[in-house]
Amino acid sequence: MADHSATHAAHDPNIGNTGLDHRKMGMWAFLGSDCMFFGSLIGTYLAYKGKSLSGPTPYEVFDIPLTSYSAALLLASSLTMVLALAALQDNRVKVAAGWLLATAAMGLHFVLNQVYEFWTFVNHYNLTLSTSLFGSTFFVLTGFHGAHVTGGVIWLLLLVSLAWRGQLDRRDYTKVEIAGLYWHFVDIVWIAIFTIIYLIP
Amino acid sequence: MADHGTTTATHGGGGGHATVRTYIQVAIALAIITGVEVATLYIPGIPNPVLVISLLLMSAVKFYLVVGFFMHLKYDHQIMRALFVGPLLIAVIIILAVMALFSAFLLLPRPH
Repeated sequence: MADHSATHAAHDPNIGNTGLDHRKMGMWAFLGSDCMFFGSLIGTYLAYKGKSLSGPTPYEVFDIPLTSYSAALLLASSLTMVLALAALQDNRVKVAAGWLLATAAMGLHFVLNQVYEFWTFVNHYNLTLSTSLFGSTFFVLTGFHGAHVTGGVIWLLLLVSLAWRGQLDRRDYTKVEIAGLYWHFVDIVWIAIFTIIYLIP
Repeated sequence: MADHGTTTATHGGGGGHATVRTYIQVAIALAIITGVEVATLYIPGIPNPVLVISLLLMSAVKFYLVVGFFMHLKYDHQIMRALFVGPLLIAVIIILAVMALFSAFLLLPRPH
């Protein structure tokens, strides 16, 4: 296996002198920086929690069953993502494309739930980005997360499109794995947001 | 590469692997923990500090399961681990620092 790796490294331009795929290293570095980005937004939300002078409070507007359903959707989509990877590993490209499509569908469902939540906040509770500290910090944090999910859905659909056109096989494992890393990251960010923003009283 | 079998996944630079069975077990654990998290909210009489600590612990376990098994970091090269865990620790410090700066408290009542 060591000989195989050495040969692979000598011929694969994506393998750097660490012996690691630099595309994957780049993704991990990006995810690390994104941790700090979301850390700042979560910290800001918590710093201003309960300090709004007007407007509805979080617990007047939050729909815990809906957000729990959304959390379950993202967790389930993480499973389908790794199942897609496992299928691609076995060169079952059609199966992998099916799992990727299921992942994208659950991601899209999550985004639509979030759009519905935002619409309800604006139209039923008159809570907007400029209403209060709660509105500003909540919409910026969850909005950026939603944008990340939307980007992930587009990325997954592009991979599905490649698979359907016969341009994706087990040699592209790393490409799909990197997309998977990004997708799981949006899931773990939601794990944090769901607990810290929605569940903690 | 064919020797990796039908249910394993490789992880550039790492030596281990996870099976589909492992993925499904992790998903079941995640579903159970999420159910317990939400159910905890509806149990009356739990002191606030206990509730907050238990919710944070359950969230941390879910975080670890996804990062360790689904993102394969448990099996991956230590450089990949350092690239993610280092900034993650900084992110936690940022959150605590911002909260301290603004006198925001999760567990303790705010001073009046």
